Amino acid sequence: MRLTKTLLVVTGLILSTTGLPGLAQAKVTVLGWPGGSEETALRAVAEAYNAEPGRAEADKVELIFFNRDGFFDKLQADMAAGSDAFDINLVATYSIGRYAPYMDTIDLGADAQKTFGDSVLKTMQFEGRQYGVPTDLSLHFMYYRKDLIDALLQDEAAKAKYAEIAQKYLGKSLAPKDPDSWTWDDWAATALYFSKQVNPASPTRYGTVLQMKNLLFNMMVFQSLPRSYGGDWMDKDGKITVDSAAYRTGLELYKKLYDAGASPKDSLSYEYAETNAAFGAGQAATALQWNAAAGDLTSAEKSPAVAEVTGMVAPPAGPDGRADHIHGLGLGLNKAAKNKEGATRFLKWLATENAALAYAKAGGSPALAPEVVAKVAAERPDLVKLGDFAGKYGYVMTGATSAKALSVYELQAKEFTGYWSGQQSLDEALKKTETGMAELLKK
Amino acid sequence: MALLKPAQSRLFLTPLTGFLMLFLGFPALVNLVYSVSSVSFETLRNPQITGFGNYALVLADGEFWRSVSFSGRFALVTALAECLIGLFLALFLAPLLRAHSVLMAPLMLPLMVAPAMIGLMYRLVLHEFAGPVPYYLFLWLGDSPAFLSVENAFTALAVVEILQWTPFAFLLFYMAYSGISPDIREAAALDGAPWYRVLLWIDLPLMRPTLAIAFFIRFIDGFRVFDNVYALTGSGAGGSTTSLSIYIYQAFFKQGAIGKAVAASVLLFLASLAVLTLINLMAGTRRRA
Amino acid sequence: MIKTLRWIVFLLAALAMNFPVIVTLVTSFKTARELASNPGLWIQSPTLANYATVLGKTDRFNIYAYLLNSTSAALIGTLVALAIAFPAAYAIARSAIGRRVLLPVVINLRAMPLVIFAIPLYMMYQWLGLLDTRLGLGLILAIVNIPLALVILVNAIGEVPIELDEAASVDGASAARIMLSVVLPVVRPAVTTCFIFGFITAWNEFLFGLMLTTSRAVPMTVGSSFFFAASGGGVQWGAASAVMILGALPPALLGLIMYRQISASMTAGAVKG
Repeated sequence: MRLTKTLLVVTGLILSTTGLPGLAQAKVTVLGWPGGSEETALRAVAEAYNAEPGRAEADKVELIFFNRDGFFDKLQADMAAGSDAFDINLVATYSIGRYAPYMDTIDLGADAQKTFGDSVLKTMQFEGRQYGVPTDLSLHFMYYRKDLIDALLQDEAAKAKYAEIAQKYLGKSLAPKDPDSWTWDDWAATALYFSKQVNPASPTRYGTVLQMKNLLFNMMVFQSLPRSYGGDWMDKDGKITVDSAAYRTGLELYKKLYDAGASPKDSLSYEYAETNAAFGAGQAATALQWNAAAGDLTSAEKSPAVAEVTGMVAPPAGPDGRADHIHGLGLGLNKAAKNKEGATRFLKWLATENAALAYAKAGGSPALAPEVVAKVAAERPDLVKLGDFAGKYGYVMTGATSAKALSVYELQAKEFTGYWSGQQSLDEALKKTETGMAELLKK
Repeated sequence: MALLKPAQSRLFLTPLTGFLMLFLGFPALVNLVYSVSSVSFETLRNPQITGFGNYALVLADGEFWRSVSFSGRFALVTALAECLIGLFLALFLAPLLRAHSVLMAPLMLPLMVAPAMIGLMYRLVLHEFAGPVPYYLFLWLGDSPAFLSVENAFTALAVVEILQWTPFAFLLFYMAYSGISPDIREAAALDGAPWYRVLLWIDLPLMRPTLAIAFFIRFIDGFRVFDNVYALTGSGAGGSTTSLSIYIYQAFFKQGAIGKAVAASVLLFLASLAVLTLINLMAGTRRRA
Repeated sequence: MIKTLRWIVFLLAALAMNFPVIVTLVTSFKTARELASNPGLWIQSPTLANYATVLGKTDRFNIYAYLLNSTSAALIGTLVALAIAFPAAYAIARSAIGRRVLLPVVINLRAMPLVIFAIPLYMMYQWLGLLDTRLGLGLILAIVNIPLALVILVNAIGEVPIELDEAASVDGASAARIMLSVVLPVVRPAVTTCFIFGFITAWNEFLFGLMLTTSRAVPMTVGSSFFFAASGGGVQWGAASAVMILGALPPALLGLIMYRQISASMTAGAVKG
């Protein structure tokens, strides 16, 4: 029984440490988005804020982070139960309606407008009221292989093959174009051309990587396609409009590419990480992917095969022009906060130009007003592109900030991937989505 | 048979019942109320009692039945395979393991890794461009199947589950097998019984309780499978791998349909209680017979 | 000849069952650059950088705190479960009481997706002040462990000849005494098995660790997801692999030590018998 005794002693020792205080209790507790550049940047500005001369002890900021996995489920439980473990919490455009009942509105003052501009502030509004300071903006780039496209543009024989493939699969005779002037059909033809199954001579195995896992974020990536065909979640009267020609075109195009073998066979279980791995391995010619991947895909360290030849443009155009899904991350005030005055002071400071610039310099991705972004253009040229795309093509679907927005994405993910995988027909998928959305979004 | 007086038995059961009442009594009560209420995360503290609508909703939901069927098939296939392979390994490798007990280590190792982590790892292992399995298949055979497509996802997930949990059955069987006194077997061998008769007439009957329990536990665990499936396919492809646990989790957190999720769990609870009681009754009849 | 076959079967089984572990181990020694270019099982330029990342303590990621939290919560969860399941199992095995209702109900808990208890438990913990404590997490893990412990123990005690109890009873020993000094030693292998499985289950639990802790009591499974998100985000494969290897070490070591104990006690029993 010696082992048992040892175990008991060890247990006793460990239990005796249970009561020890953890982190020192700071005065304003901020819950941030864990693990990425957002965290690094928030750390830097929090440090700067705390170090400002004359900062009262009671106003100093301490950061906490849950971990990524299940972040929003945990936050949901905390907020619904009225947790006061944090004064300031993370909000995202797509979840703002869900958390608004547990949050206080804030008045950021006129400075915020000058720093971010109205369209960006709106990503943190729900029913016209401001719930947060925008910190980071996410949207999508069309990543493509410059070397392959250049070669295609110069090769007459390849152009003929390209036209033949476009005619056969898309029913149109198309010629290769520069990615910045692609329509979705041009992209589709390129994706088909660069797929071994369609074109055995293709230098890559696949022409694109579609993210088709049953996951809500994948719907955000997808929906810019129907959007550029004029699609929307609902019209002005609140009628659900997903059963539209626009959504049909988009859904069918994805399925056509997947079925033709233009995207990896396991695309139905692909998300962010898998897409990066496929494109990074040099086996996919294009990929519609989050801007956050730009760093990895152009880093010679992390993606040696493609770093030098990865190009980025805004998503292709449809009849209604180009469209790029945007959503913001930001910070807002917990209704159950213990230190609301201190928290409000920090949030207001965060909305000032100096704080936003410091955030950008520390690696964050804020979308800033043109005059402001000019001041960091030398250090962060990508932010110019981000602000440019967001301003020109950025959109938020009608209803996508409501309390049920996340549930709508979940529903779409389930039904649309059901169609792509051949589990149900397009009509069924759209009908179920429409019924479900009507139920979720009814006033 | 009854060595303990009823009063004593109850005393011995008190810590268990008390602990469960304390920790699950209140949550269970709240859940029962939720299951007959219209409730969301905003109204956790004041649910509106609306009757049995949630139950009707669940029973009429095709997705619910699909997930029940997935879980049932998954549990049956994995539990059977795990027990058969586990039994074979336990009996066949027993002489080897008796001689070198350190060999147990690699056979137990898979149990130590969290299923969610295993699921995550297989995302890498099976990835067409970054994973070793497709890499070697392409290298040697020139092609690699789509492991997680609609057609193959069930098989792939079952294999992942079986590879991780066969050691569980194996461990229980090996211990039960080692517990059988060698005298009995030697006596049988002296009588000239060939090995398969010893197996059929002596080993297996003696191991029957353990066989039943291992199958039973693995069936339950297979039925409620969540972590590895969720990490690997996220209920895809196209919802074809939604287990009942995933169905309930998604209803609960993703759709915020708390009443519906809880109602589905209550149904699950009642159904498995009925099955267990039935098994118990049958076992009881046999014991008396 | 048959001996060679046994070795072959052993090697095949060990290889197949441990394949993900082997890949994880290999991956944990690869650089990010190599991960992107070499999916094979051969490491071209091994590195310890991933382990350095994981073991480097920051105020953000503190693996030592996570390990301590997990160890203490898993120990509480296992020992409490054993302490209350053992007498109950004894009572169920030695009398008719509890077999018809209590046993099936408790076993049923294992089949339930416990997520449905998350919200009421959260509110209860908030009220009791058990949120973000190791004790609170440990007690929930005990609930997770009780069903399996009860099944295995009822089965094991049922196998013990009742004559042993009767003999002790004739000698005037009380029921509690019989349970502790007559039955417990005989079923030690089963208790140890319960302990191992219980500890592993508790160690690997994720959902309650996520829901019920915030900063002070975060367990290893939740803490390590800093390097990955199972869905909806990037995965740092190298660091994630290193963290998985380190996270699996404590239960693996414990399992091995305990296993030697079981086999020792089994051999002793066989010699005596």
